[in-house]
Amino acid sequence: MMGNVLTSRIATDFFGGVTSGIVIALVALCLVIIWQSTNILNFAQGAMSMFAAFVGMNLVFHGVNYWLCLLIAVLAGMVSGGLTERVLIRPLYGKPEINPVVVMIGFLGVVEALAASIWNNESATVPPPFSLTYFESNGHTILISPNAIFQVTLAVGVMLLVALVFRYTNIGLQMRAAALAPEVSKLLGVRVDRLLTLGWIVSSGVGAIAAVIVSTGQTLAPTNMDGIFVSAFIAAAIGGLSSPVGAVTGGVLIGLTNYYVLDFWSPNIAPLTSVVVLVAVLFVRPQGLFTKNTTRRV
Amino acid sequence: MIKIDQLSVSYGAVKALENVSFEAAKGRITAVLGANGAGKTTLLRTISGLVASHHGSITVDEIQLTDKSTENIARLGIAHVPEGRGVIAEFTVEENLKLGTLASKVNIGEGMEKQFELFPVLRERRKQHASTLSGGERQMLAMARALIAKPSVLLLDEPSLGLAPLVTQEMMKTISALCSSEQLTVLLIEQNAKSALKIAHEAVVLHLGHVIASGSAQQIQSDDNMRRYYLGVQR
Amino acid sequence: MNFLKNSRAAFPTLFRFATVLIGTLLVLFITFFLHPIDNSKLAGGAAVTVVVLGLSWLIGLSGQVSLGNAGFMAIGGYVAAIWSNHHAHSPLLVTFLLATVCSAFVGLIVALPSTRLRGPYLAGVTLAFSAAISPLAISLNTLTGGSGGLFVNYLVTPTWFAHFIGGSNELIVSNAQWPTDVMVVVAGVSIFLMSNLFNSRTGRAMRLVRDDDVAAELAGINVQRTRTLAFVVSAAYAGLGGSMLALLSGSVTPQTYSLSFSILLLTLMVLGGMGTLSGAVIGGLIYSYSNNLVSLVNNITGISATSPLGANLKGIVFGVLLILCMLLSPRGIVGFAGAFRNLKKRVIK
Repeated sequence: MMGNVLTSRIATDFFGGVTSGIVIALVALCLVIIWQSTNILNFAQGAMSMFAAFVGMNLVFHGVNYWLCLLIAVLAGMVSGGLTERVLIRPLYGKPEINPVVVMIGFLGVVEALAASIWNNESATVPPPFSLTYFESNGHTILISPNAIFQVTLAVGVMLLVALVFRYTNIGLQMRAAALAPEVSKLLGVRVDRLLTLGWIVSSGVGAIAAVIVSTGQTLAPTNMDGIFVSAFIAAAIGGLSSPVGAVTGGVLIGLTNYYVLDFWSPNIAPLTSVVVLVAVLFVRPQGLFTKNTTRRV
Repeated sequence: MIKIDQLSVSYGAVKALENVSFEAAKGRITAVLGANGAGKTTLLRTISGLVASHHGSITVDEIQLTDKSTENIARLGIAHVPEGRGVIAEFTVEENLKLGTLASKVNIGEGMEKQFELFPVLRERRKQHASTLSGGERQMLAMARALIAKPSVLLLDEPSLGLAPLVTQEMMKTISALCSSEQLTVLLIEQNAKSALKIAHEAVVLHLGHVIASGSAQQIQSDDNMRRYYLGVQR
Repeated sequence: MNFLKNSRAAFPTLFRFATVLIGTLLVLFITFFLHPIDNSKLAGGAAVTVVVLGLSWLIGLSGQVSLGNAGFMAIGGYVAAIWSNHHAHSPLLVTFLLATVCSAFVGLIVALPSTRLRGPYLAGVTLAFSAAISPLAISLNTLTGGSGGLFVNYLVTPTWFAHFIGGSNELIVSNAQWPTDVMVVVAGVSIFLMSNLFNSRTGRAMRLVRDDDVAAELAGINVQRTRTLAFVVSAAYAGLGGSMLALLSGSVTPQTYSLSFSILLLTLMVLGGMGTLSGAVIGGLIYSYSNNLVSLVNNITGISATSPLGANLKGIVFGVLLILCMLLSPRGIVGFAGAFRNLKKRVIK
């Protein structure tokens, strides 16, 4: 009986939805970190993460250990995040809002084109560190694989780590302060500029992990993260761009929506459904589900 | 001690401060008075580095401040409590205080203990979010946060804003006591000139960016012109 | 010179009409002497000019950043393709109008909830919308031909035009002539309409809303309606441009209006000059010769066009150009031109 429940379509979609939703949530978290600290929506997030994943994962094909490659990808992400903030974003502080948006969109194009030109092994699949075979139970297949469990665990672990750092460490306190009240923080001696860069570094490192998870078990392509970026934005916007909890909830919600729509309707309608959900939520509550109405300096 | 020499600040074409010069001594409170728009807040913001000057200099204990960043100026021991207090509403009382210690060498536990002794009500509310505090309590938090890093200079921008008269009285007494016990150099901006002059040792009066009078608090208080135009007192 | 200035002040609409008319006729005249390849490029440029006009209007003038133009272009393109396939003898005007109206309608639907959103939210929502159009096109495959798309064979040179050019002289009556001239005329009309909007009360209202929406509200302007109108106009232009491109290229597929195309459009708008009419025309011209530009880069740097780097060079070059432009001068080439004009004034005086 239990076996039947677990292998039913509803359950299958649920597992798939949660697994993909957690990854979407991870990318959404990246967007929230950058948005909270610098008030910029990083349109190049997906592409940058993918680039970092490329740097790391291509080494797998040269025989380097998977875990080492993952670490390299994270480091590559962090470096690229820090550099991007310094070179592209720093000159734009204080200028009209539209500038960083357009610059990041341009950057997105450059990064993807660059990735395509540097690495063009079309048929290379990243071998997963754990088995992709689904679990069996009494002869029925439950659509979770050990690899999927690993992915979810890794993603959740990263999210918890980030949450803990922000909540309970001194540097996390400073980062939150720099985001909430940059002027007051400066008056207290907090080096706001460096913390903004740190925000980008953390966000890009986390993004790289998400990109690696997405690419494991499939071909490395520069456009792998495009769809996820859109879903992640939708998730973050639903939760409210300044709420990490909202981003995670939104991510899982969108992941589930995608899977159920995909199964019960058509895979090509899923993107549209997500947009409709987003518009519906923003219509009712323009600041997202989890943000308080106003933040005030007192 | 603070030495301001020929300081000039412009916002585009608007001259906010012009050739402002005066000195504020250590262990004494210098009141900065004047009508709205006289440049009082700009003066404090320039000292703490939030606003850039194009002429003149600011020296604190022989150290030039004029080209330093806000963060570095704060780390030199210059604490600025801005207009509106700048208490971070989303943080708890403790988190606000902790933030004040992180850029200094002060031990967090000791620092907080000392501030709780000065302002016992903050100890009661330590785990509460700053948004739940009353106006007077927020003012205390803002000051505690500024003081926790053991500054040598304290810049206060309209601390009595929005506070009831009795609370203001208490607060002024505290400022006065702290100034002498910690030997702080205090610059105090107040619209309520009367209460400021009660505790101030010196005073500087600004008008449209210029210093039009400076001297001891008594001198300024007894000057008839000052009283009529700037202190709002009818004689 | 004074006569021109005075007449421009006295009869602004007429002046604008005359300027655009003369400009269009001039370009039409030139098309008769151009090589068919150049004509095709010009035609593509004209289509892109229309889209960039709409985009420039939205972003540069009303301050709303939308990334949804590729989606509206797709709608215009598909409508034009589907309609012309079923009604091969329908007049051009009808086809273009239909594509424009359909786009505008969808634009209205998208705008109603979205224009309340600020900056990045709007950009993200429109991006998501744009990204959802291609899969949607694939799923409606009976209508849209699925992932293979549709073929269009609509822009057949009419006999009166062939006679007009010079009988049956094969050399002059090239297949590129008629489509090019059609596109140039459409572009000319679009520019004229846009210039009227630009200078109308609505245009001024939009600029006020962009700069200070609180002030606009106090001045009695309905901010929501103004923003929505700006969005719908932009969608209409995108749809028109999309239909033009579809008819020109002879096919429309879900992959045609991709993210990199959106980025290219943005770059062209910025390069030409955000929020200006001449900027859109410059943007269109740059598009026409974008491949030449890339070849030039290939020649200068010695990168082979068939190498992986060479194949992706277009994306890299235009992305970098966009970034540089935004970092150095947000008003693009026309911004430079404005600065140059100021300099000239100061030197001459």
